[in-house]
Amino acid sequence: MKTTKKEQENKIKSRSKKADDKQKLILEILKTHGAKIYGDLENGQFPKFSIPSRSVSNIVYDKQLRQYILGNNSALRSSRNSAQLRSFTQLMWLAFFANRLTTERKSSTLRDIYYSSQAFAVEFEDQSESDNIIVDLEAVTSRPREDFHIFPEERSSIFGDLNIEYTIPGYEGKTMNLANHPDGYSIGPSLTTAELVSTSAEIVIAIEKGGLFTRFVEEQVDKKFKSIIINTGGQAPRSTRTLLKRLHDEMKLPVICLTDGDVYGEHIAMVIKSGSANAAHLRDLTVPDAKWVGVWATDIEKYKLPTIPMTESDIKRCYDLQKDPRYQDGIWKKELDVFLKLKRKAELEAFSKYGLTNITDKYLPQKLELAKSL
Amino acid sequence: MSSIKEKFNQISPSEFFYSNRDLAGFSNPTRSLYTAVREFVENALDACDQKGILPDVHLTIKAVDPDKPDPKPYILTVKDNGPGIDAEHIPLAFGTVLYGSKFGLKQARGMFGLGATMAILYGQITTNKPVTVKSSSDGKIQNQFEILLDIQKNKPVIVKHTTKEISKTGLTVSICLEGDYSKAGNKIRDYVYETSLITPYASITFDDPKNQKFSHPRFVKEIPPPPTIIRPHPHGIDVERIRRMIVESQFEIPTIDDAMIEKVRKDLGLSVKKFSFTSIMDKAKKKWKTLPRQVRVVIALMSFLKMDFEKLNKIRIEDIDMPNKKLSYWDFGDSQSKSVDMDPESEYYKQLTNTVQGEPLTTFLTKRFQRIGPTTAVKFAEFAKFKPEKRMGTLTNQELVNLSDALQKFEDFMAPDSSCLAPLGAEPLEKGIKKFFNPDFVAVVQRPASAYSGFPFIIEMGIAYGGDIKSGGPHVYRYANRIPLLYDEGSDVVLKVVNDTDWGRYKVKGEPPFIIVSHICSTRIPYKTAGKENVADRQEIERELRLALQYLSRKLSSFMSKRGQAEMAKKRANLYAKYIPMIAEFCTELSGKKKEPNYKKMLETEIASENKKAKEEENKIENN
Repeated sequence: MKTTKKEQENKIKSRSKKADDKQKLILEILKTHGAKIYGDLENGQFPKFSIPSRSVSNIVYDKQLRQYILGNNSALRSSRNSAQLRSFTQLMWLAFFANRLTTERKSSTLRDIYYSSQAFAVEFEDQSESDNIIVDLEAVTSRPREDFHIFPEERSSIFGDLNIEYTIPGYEGKTMNLANHPDGYSIGPSLTTAELVSTSAEIVIAIEKGGLFTRFVEEQVDKKFKSIIINTGGQAPRSTRTLLKRLHDEMKLPVICLTDGDVYGEHIAMVIKSGSANAAHLRDLTVPDAKWVGVWATDIEKYKLPTIPMTESDIKRCYDLQKDPRYQDGIWKKELDVFLKLKRKAELEAFSKYGLTNITDKYLPQKLELAKSL
Repeated sequence: MSSIKEKFNQISPSEFFYSNRDLAGFSNPTRSLYTAVREFVENALDACDQKGILPDVHLTIKAVDPDKPDPKPYILTVKDNGPGIDAEHIPLAFGTVLYGSKFGLKQARGMFGLGATMAILYGQITTNKPVTVKSSSDGKIQNQFEILLDIQKNKPVIVKHTTKEISKTGLTVSICLEGDYSKAGNKIRDYVYETSLITPYASITFDDPKNQKFSHPRFVKEIPPPPTIIRPHPHGIDVERIRRMIVESQFEIPTIDDAMIEKVRKDLGLSVKKFSFTSIMDKAKKKWKTLPRQVRVVIALMSFLKMDFEKLNKIRIEDIDMPNKKLSYWDFGDSQSKSVDMDPESEYYKQLTNTVQGEPLTTFLTKRFQRIGPTTAVKFAEFAKFKPEKRMGTLTNQELVNLSDALQKFEDFMAPDSSCLAPLGAEPLEKGIKKFFNPDFVAVVQRPASAYSGFPFIIEMGIAYGGDIKSGGPHVYRYANRIPLLYDEGSDVVLKVVNDTDWGRYKVKGEPPFIIVSHICSTRIPYKTAGKENVADRQEIERELRLALQYLSRKLSSFMSKRGQAEMAKKRANLYAKYIPMIAEFCTELSGKKKEPNYKKMLETEIASENKKAKEEENKIENN
């Protein structure tokens, strides 16, 4: 496909405008909140704001959205209340700091936030306290922290024929093909915010483990099955889930998940599909059409996989998930029941018993075929 | 009586205590040194209390040879400014066991002065040195004795006796005994310290073997009112005690000899010259009210014999048979036994009956017990199934037991008289606590008198928080009859009551800096063991302790909440001052404004209001 230089420039312009628009929106949200606090003080009042309650009783499953959402309960945070004043100030600082990050298009990590606070005499006892305030900011604004340029430590990566175009400062307009580097590209702020330009892939394979990811690249799964391979590194981070959603929504690619054959693996797939209760205050992190193709409990016998016994915490986790509304039907319920019956589990690497390429040569094709009918 | 020969060897009290000295707290050199200190200091304080003297007590412990390792001989000296002891009593008081002045029912630290003699005995056993006693009871002459105890005979052996002139009364006792100060030192210092807290009107000094001086000057100038000696309460009595009281109340028929006749004559105011029977009787009737009992008895006998002094001199009374109203006597002149009838209607008959058969039950009860009136006495007789006029001298053994049981069971007696108790008083206790601990909060309470098993008792308690008090509380200072109890606190009823308390309910949390001072006063403290270190959990005492502690805890709780509110208000003021300007700064940039919002006035008003609240709460605490 050939494009004229003019067309190219226009495209770049429109893409950077999109990024600008988003930045403006975020800044507008922050400003609105800031102005309200300012107004309270100006009127000689203790500032206050309302925040959706994140308590367990206020987290409900929305069948239409196919994810957990927050109910209608909200709490009033007042700076007059001495018990809340400190966290009130922390949140104000965070909004103020997020405003700077967004304005300057700089990224930071959760850990950065913890340390940055110290420059402003805002004390956080530890990172878990600052992490909590970050969730508060998300809940108040209904925007994920990534929108404010706050990212977790990265450990997931992507590989495959996908052309992207950066929007971050200094790289605007620069493009990249994600099949250029066999170790894959780590999914960080620049990739998450990049424009997805084009792809030849027809499917996205999210895989739980780095070792298998490398094998899949080596065995050219991307070419053989026209796929984009993503290593979630265990439970998929938010940025990875955002990227998965964009690949599905913007590039119209189906998403399948391949995990270890145990209850945690099953839930990794579930979180990609329908999110987690922890992020009930956020939308746009789920791929409701994502499919879990393995390793299923029923695969353990079917493929005669070597197994290891479940631990007590594995079993307890099974019982916990049985109460989750999302596990009440379909393969989710069926496989969970079988896991509980077997009380054994199998890792992805178990296929190596039948040769290192067994998983890509035999298992994956069967599962991809099966996925079409799921 | 029985003709069987006595087969048992009697042992003297001294010998008994010699072989059972661990019972009295003299089990090892450490404990013995501590016990000896206690006994002498308590005797000194008791002696001063009794005479209403502000006590100055000086305790000195010096090693005989400081270079020797413990245990080793120490010289223990306790000097006081009390009334002293008369010279003639000193050898017996310090040289025999079971000789003392503390008999009688009232609150005192020790009971019979037994402990001090035990300490002397222990000193003599371990070092073979005599006790040195210096005493002046008149403030002019001081008698100095060195005395050894003859253990087998329970008799003092005076080694040396000198006198010298002096200007003050007082007693100094000095013994040499085997002790272990390196181990006992802590307890002794604690003992002196804690004693001075409960005896704020005493000055106590302590020179220890390491030449350290501990001085606890008095900080209260008034001695609490002394206890009075009172009659026993019927609930606190047993068969043996009743038997002794009957013996005390009965009077023997006086022997009518020359001396007796002379006494009667003198008391009637009659001269040597001869008087007729009728004139003697007339005179007696006139003077009856002033006559002593013995004389009355002789007059009563004479009234039935119808004899004058001359005739009386020639007979001997053989028998006074009250039920048959017969009085028989031996007539020396006629050398034969004769008898006369007694008129039961006569006044003199009643007099003789009292003497021979003892008092009627009702009189016995009203005269010899506390707080029994004639009505109660009659009611009791009915309850106990005795005739009210039943003579005490005629009770059989079984009747005695029945009487004793009934006295315990009868519930209409008034509560025991507490005038025999000597609590310290709420005010001196509070002063003491304030001086010792300089606390942020103190509350004291003196409960009304109560009783267990006929023994009256009073609970005094104090609670203090903060100030110089170390954290990790509650630390409990236990006292009984102004004695600190330092050992065996685990099984004590006071500790039990304190440990049962849920302090969280009173807003006391964590390892709080607070103390509890508990003082039990009673004519008899129900100690669990002979060592007098822990009080048994009598239901009545436990209840009073609980009520006292609850009362104080509520006060503490109100203090804690006021203090909490004051602290909260201060904290809020600080938090506002710290955080609101930050919020203002952040929201200014966030909302894209150049100038900070106009919040300073609001903030100042709020901070001032919180500080005012804090001040108000603090004032409330101070005014309590």
